[in-house]
Amino acid sequence: MLNFFDLNVHAYPETDMSVEDMLRVAKRYGYAGIAITNNDDISNGNKVSNSIFRGVEIRTNSVSELKRKIKLYYGKVSVLAVHGGSEKINKAALKDFRVDILAHPCGEKGEGELSHVMVRYAAENGVAIDFNLNAIIRSKRSDRARILRKMREIFKIARKYKAMPIITSNAHSVYDLIAPREMIALASLFGMQKEEAVHALSDIPEGILEKRWKKEREVEVI
Amino acid sequence: MKNRERKRYLVFEVISEREIDKRELLKEIWRSVYSLYGDVGASESKIWLIGYDKKKDGDTGIDVSEGMGILRCAAYKVEEVRAALACIYSVNEARVGIRVVGISGTIKGATRLTALRKSKS
Repeated sequence: MLNFFDLNVHAYPETDMSVEDMLRVAKRYGYAGIAITNNDDISNGNKVSNSIFRGVEIRTNSVSELKRKIKLYYGKVSVLAVHGGSEKINKAALKDFRVDILAHPCGEKGEGELSHVMVRYAAENGVAIDFNLNAIIRSKRSDRARILRKMREIFKIARKYKAMPIITSNAHSVYDLIAPREMIALASLFGMQKEEAVHALSDIPEGILEKRWKKEREVEVI
Repeated sequence: MKNRERKRYLVFEVISEREIDKRELLKEIWRSVYSLYGDVGASESKIWLIGYDKKKDGDTGIDVSEGMGILRCAAYKVEEVRAALACIYSVNEARVGIRVVGISGTIKGATRLTALRKSKS
């Protein structure tokens, strides 16, 4: 039995859903654990149970502020995510080995950009690239087509450079949570094979939580 | 049997803000399939809503209304239909979340699955 993880879930105080409710539904859907990644706030990551991981999603527009915040949160959280979007933020986040996840690199509306060079940084630094399926669900017609196109492009590059893709729901309420099998079906919309999607839902997130990828990298450097 | 196409029966579960009736849900399923796969894709998937029922007392333990239904589709389109179901975001402005809990090749098996799920709760 594989352990599935959803590493980008928002909960109270950012939304009006409590962590316990989110976890209850996620457990029912078949997840082994979720990480609460509220924007710039780690107050609600206290371990209520072994299935909840404390995380943070840094959201900023300037690189210097990003650096400062990474320094502030590094070591205090299990999952350090950066809210991607603009090119300079994406680049700064992927170059920093302290970052675990670059959340929605193509932005929540598919406006961001990710180049070959940047994906290579991600592979070198062990930063996972997040595909938030919530963007596909919430958008319609031309917006959805644009988001899918972006995701397809980024995923192709990620596959080429062996960067780590993960898929998350970016859920803000219990209705936003998506069961693992549904996640896999949605990921196939932008060209992810079933095995890759399973890997992106179970093995890679688990490695992030255990900091396995960072360790592997350190060994390589020595 | 040769000329008949193989079908699958998806048993799905719905959590929603308020109670949802079959007609609204069906409309939303169609809308989702159309928007994701277009007219041709929708015709190929052969979707048919067999039944949908509200669950009287939910078992998630939180304050949401729950329902359960059976949807028929072409056997080779199961993953596509699953994605379309997952894409349903709201029904008449009420937030919903849908997931498939089981798949069967016969309607009898699907009803048995539904009954099993209901007795569990």
